[in-house]
Amino acid sequence: MACNLQTSFLPALKFPAEATLDKRRGNGLVVCSVASAADSIMTESTPTGSAAVVRSRPLSRREVETSERKMTDTTGKFGRFGGKFVPETLMTCLSKLEAEFNLVLHDPEFQEELATALRDYVGRETPLYFAQRLTDHYKNESGCGPEIYLKREDLNHGGAHKINNAIAQAMIAKRMGRKSIVAATGAGQHGVATAAACAKLSLKCTIVMGTLDMERQASNVLLMKLLGAEVKSVDGNFKDATSEAIREWVGNLETNYFLIGTAVGPHPCPSMVREFQSIIGKETRRQAMERWGRKPDVLVACVGSGSNALGLFHEFIADEDVRMIGVEAAGFGLESGKHSATLAKGEVGVYHGAMSYLLQDEEGQIVGPHSIGVGMEYPGVSPELSFLKERGRVESYSVTDQEAVDGKQLPIAISIMLIANCGRSMCVVSKSVFCFTVGLQHTNYCAD
Amino acid sequence: MAASAKTPISRTQTTSLYKPYSSSLQLPFKFLKVTPNSCAAKALSICCALQMEPKVGPGSQVPDSFGRFGKFGGKYVPETLMHALTELESAFRALSGDVEFQKELDGILKDYVGRETPLYFAERLSEHYKRPNGEGPLIYLKREDLNHTGAHKINNAVAQALLAKRLGKTRIIAETGAGQHGVATATVCARFGLQCIVYMGAQDMERQALNVFRMRLLGAEVRAVHSGTATLKDATSEAIRDWVTNVETTHYILGSVAGPHPYPMMVRDFHAVIGKETRKQAMEKWGGKPDVLVACVGGGSNAMGLFYEFVDDEDVRLIGVEAAGFGLDSGKHAATLTKGEVGVLHGAMSYLLQDDDGQIIEPHSISAGLDYPGVGPEHSFLKDLGRAEYHSITDEEALEAFKRLSRLEGIIPALETSHALAYLEKLCPTLPNGAKVVLNCSGRGDKDVHTAIKHLKV
Repeated sequence: MACNLQTSFLPALKFPAEATLDKRRGNGLVVCSVASAADSIMTESTPTGSAAVVRSRPLSRREVETSERKMTDTTGKFGRFGGKFVPETLMTCLSKLEAEFNLVLHDPEFQEELATALRDYVGRETPLYFAQRLTDHYKNESGCGPEIYLKREDLNHGGAHKINNAIAQAMIAKRMGRKSIVAATGAGQHGVATAAACAKLSLKCTIVMGTLDMERQASNVLLMKLLGAEVKSVDGNFKDATSEAIREWVGNLETNYFLIGTAVGPHPCPSMVREFQSIIGKETRRQAMERWGRKPDVLVACVGSGSNALGLFHEFIADEDVRMIGVEAAGFGLESGKHSATLAKGEVGVYHGAMSYLLQDEEGQIVGPHSIGVGMEYPGVSPELSFLKERGRVESYSVTDQEAVDGKQLPIAISIMLIANCGRSMCVVSKSVFCFTVGLQHTNYCAD
Repeated sequence: MAASAKTPISRTQTTSLYKPYSSSLQLPFKFLKVTPNSCAAKALSICCALQMEPKVGPGSQVPDSFGRFGKFGGKYVPETLMHALTELESAFRALSGDVEFQKELDGILKDYVGRETPLYFAERLSEHYKRPNGEGPLIYLKREDLNHTGAHKINNAVAQALLAKRLGKTRIIAETGAGQHGVATATVCARFGLQCIVYMGAQDMERQALNVFRMRLLGAEVRAVHSGTATLKDATSEAIRDWVTNVETTHYILGSVAGPHPYPMMVRDFHAVIGKETRKQAMEKWGGKPDVLVACVGGGSNAMGLFYEFVDDEDVRLIGVEAAGFGLDSGKHAATLTKGEVGVLHGAMSYLLQDDDGQIIEPHSISAGLDYPGVGPEHSFLKDLGRAEYHSITDEEALEAFKRLSRLEGIIPALETSHALAYLEKLCPTLPNGAKVVLNCSGRGDKDVHTAIKHLKV
């Protein structure tokens, strides 16, 4: 979708619910003001919302440097979740990353370059599609039911929402003078998105992937190789690939950049990823206003680690009248022990640098997750989501493999099946917005 | 040159020497160029509004009432199909005045298909073609690969499905080579609740197994065709046979600008949104028109979709790229416009690959979508007039281009599109500095990964 999407740091108001459509530019101009406070935006995420303070003018270099110094002291906590549980060798690196991230938020040139890439390369903005037949399917006997809209992240270049984050971070890496990107991938979507972004920006790319995942997602492995990435295999699945990728990163901090694909990891990773994915929610707000003159009533998204969910939800956190529902993978069932329902069944612990819910046994060892949806198969979850769940802002449910397959659309249908059950009891026409974040590639699964 | 050489209304104005269409005669169709601001839908969409004008006399227009583009085109079909074709044509004309239909179509193109597609400046690809002195053309890709289902095919499928519904048909049939048109058809049938049967050559089904699976997942029945060479031409023949048998209940969604009138015209008009958007985006990006348009040609739908808008702009070069397979002299290729002769296939007169007895020669291309021995009649017409140039690219060259775009821009193109990309190797050294080339990136290459891997050392 081409539209003159400009993400610019504006000396403007907080992002208004009504869009500022500049017709002279031809297409819809979405103004996404990414604002940062003198105190770190990336630390506190309260139920009343995070992006609060708005500047009346762009920051001067001196102000940025001042806030940089303050940034390096930030801890990246969402309540008790998040943080930077990393070896000392990584602390400087993370501080530099945080400072650079803050810089790019204030850099109009970077924002414009990113906006152009999102529009012309990724294909944003993605449509908000009214799913007529799906809506009809869920109407009850008296003809009532919710109206179901799908936010079409599947139409992005690469076929998923992952590229929103990958392209932005690859641009940051280039800015920081890094030559080589390392990333871990589960389903392969993040691997493909990263490989594509690296090809475009002529960066060397290494993708680490678990052998189990490589088997299940052989097509994605081929795609990564075609895009010029080196694919390293490691025994196990996504969690093992992540550990290996971090090890690889630590081994060569000066030239390597670890491109995290989801909203987990040590601060500033969860916040960065969420920030770059939040374009989803921003567009949704504007599109909802255009379509039906107000906000959605319910937002639904699948939750593996939480990047697409946060991308949709973040914009609406402060809107208490908007329900948020995350749907996890119940695998063979919550009691079977073979699932990935971290928010439902996990306990708080530290994993991959952050404190969050995670699937662990009594000795604190990680329990291997399972789901037919490879992208959902992660024993941890975003610290921000953990926080929102604990506060009761986000509801979480789960759906089994069978229920998902019956819906024939894997992680998305997981969401749809669930809302179907909720929907049947609703006799109020409400607008549910589903974040549709995966695409055709995943049809590989059903082959057997 | 003047950016507004064309008025928004009529093609009958002649400003240049050399026009493919006779200037003294009125066109049967008047094409309204609707600017985004005046469009009933949001500014994001392009409206393709067609309007009928009363015909003044016979002439080689686009096409005439017999469906001819010069001597090409026509309706070479059994009598049983004549009524269906006439009915289809009337419905198409009626819809040209129907604002509701246009609005519905635009809404679907925007929200379901994901239009408009970007015009992407391929920086690294342009760098690659820079000469030692730093000069070279600027290459833009029209991203039809970002459409829902991954190719341009859906533009036509969606519009024809809407048309079929208007006609009261409940059963849809289609033929497919690469599978993209089959997937697009199955997709729209699921969307509109229509029964869907797709005919596919057995050989193609093997090459494109992922697409076969997708069609079934979308609820379509995929019927294997074993006759002949078990490829696209045989699937088309089978689909036509089905249509003849079931013409009252069935609409045949033809996937390309081939076949009997009104298909070449309809499919072209439904894809013309590609060229319309390109014109607008080119104006926004560099304040002018493209200098060269490049597209791959199998049946010719994506190429006509891009070219049609610019046919009257003499300063815009139109280049179609066909498949040379193992080489033009090998006898194993699909370069119809280079090596073919005029004949009738699948209801239209056009160039086609035939032997001395007039039997169809088996084409070959590594890409299923270009593996067709015929070509759309309008392309044959443009070639004879010299308005468009047609070249060809071998399998090897296409595979190289497939790899090249993946590595340089992170976009994996379809093997069909790779043929157009490969031609840039020959074209770019001849272009002046700063020439704007728009290449139609007609599809994405996920479906071709297994084929490519077999041939490439990755």
